[in-house]
Amino acid sequence: MTRRWLTSVALVLLPLAAQAQQAKTPPDLTGVWGPYRGGRGGDPKLAAPPASPLVLKPEYVKPYDERRAAEAAANARGEQLATPGAQCVPYGVPTMMSVAVYPTEIIQTAKQVTIISEAFSEVRRVYMDRPQLKLEDVPPGYYGRSVGRWEGDTLVVDTLGIKPTVAGYRGMPHSSQMHLTERFKLMAPDVLHDQITIEDPVTLEKPMTYTIAYSRSAKDYEMVEFVCDNNREYVDEKGIVRLKVQDH
Amino acid sequence: MMISQPARTRLRFVAIAIASALAAAIPALAHHSFTMFDMTKSITLAGTVTEFQWTNPHTYIEIDVPDEKGVVKHWSIELGSPSILQNSGWKYSSLRKGDKTTLIINPLKDGRAGGFLTQATLPDGRTVGNGPGRGPQK
Repeated sequence: MTRRWLTSVALVLLPLAAQAQQAKTPPDLTGVWGPYRGGRGGDPKLAAPPASPLVLKPEYVKPYDERRAAEAAANARGEQLATPGAQCVPYGVPTMMSVAVYPTEIIQTAKQVTIISEAFSEVRRVYMDRPQLKLEDVPPGYYGRSVGRWEGDTLVVDTLGIKPTVAGYRGMPHSSQMHLTERFKLMAPDVLHDQITIEDPVTLEKPMTYTIAYSRSAKDYEMVEFVCDNNREYVDEKGIVRLKVQDH
Repeated sequence: MMISQPARTRLRFVAIAIASALAAAIPALAHHSFTMFDMTKSITLAGTVTEFQWTNPHTYIEIDVPDEKGVVKHWSIELGSPSILQNSGWKYSSLRKGDKTTLIINPLKDGRAGGFLTQATLPDGRTVGNGPGRGPQK
C-alpha cells in the first residue's frame, strides 16, 4: 500500500520536476538567423512591431533633419552621399543586428552568447551573469561591452560603451552615454525577435524601441566570409560615392 | 556587341520593375545604394571576360566588348557580394578570364563604362541574376 502510494506521488511529482527543470533551462538560440519572412498568410504577431518614434532633444533635431534633406537632395541628383558602410567601416551595435539580407549567427553557451553578422564579419560577445562595468571603464568602440541574463525565456542583454562616431539606428545621433537593452525571445521555434531599447540622456528626449524579427536559416547554412578588401566605391572631393572603373 | 535597348518596351518595363524593387530595398543595403546606376536603362554587353573578382564588398566582372566595327571598349560591372551571389546560382569559378558571356546591365549615370548587373549568361548556358529579388529576366 505504501509502495503504491509512493509510486502515485512519484508519478505526479516527476512531470512537475521535469517541468521545473525545463523552466530553468533557457531556450537555445544557437543557429543562423536571416531576416524574418512571414510570407502570405503568415502570423502577423511574428512580424516585428513598428518602431516607437525617434524623439531627439531639440538641439539635435535640426542637424538630423538637415542630413536627411541633404541625402534626399543628393539622391534626387542621382548621387549618394558618403556613408561609413560605403567606405567599408563596420556598422557596430546596434545596426549590425540587421544588415540587408545577410544572416546573423548566434552561438549560445552557458557563459557566453556570441553574435556574428555575416556582413563585414562583425562579432559581439555577450558575457552571461557578469556585472556590467561602469561606463568610464569601457573603452569606447563599435560593440561596447555586453552582459546578459535570462529572465524566464527571454535573454536580456545590456550594452554600453559605443563611441559616438558609430552610426546609430538609422543615422540617429548618439553620445558616449548611449545605453542599449535588448530582449531576445523565440516567438515560435523558428522565429526570433530582438527588441532593442535605446536610451541616451544627451541626444534622446525619451527612450526609443524597435524590434528586429528573424527567421531561422536552413539548418545546414554555412556562414560566408566577408573581408572588405576590394572596395571599389570611393568618395570624391564632393563627398559623393563613386565606382572605380578600369580604364583601358 | 553592345545593343542599346531603351526603346524596347518589354525590356524597359522589366527595367522599371527591377528599379522599383530595388528602390524598395535601398534602406536595407549593406554597402551602398543604387543611386549611381540608371535603373531605367538596360544595356546588353556581349564580350570576353578579362577578370572575375570574387571579392567583398562586391564581385566584379571586367569585360572587353567589341562594337560593330570590332573596336573594343572595356567595361567594369558590379555584382552583389559573394554571400548574396552564392545563394543565387553563382560560384567563384562561374566565370574565368577568356570566357565569352553576355551581360544585361544598368549603366552608371555619369557615363563612364561601368554598371550594375541584371543578368549574366554563363559559359554553361545558364542565365543567372544578381541576388535575391534580382533574378534573371523571364
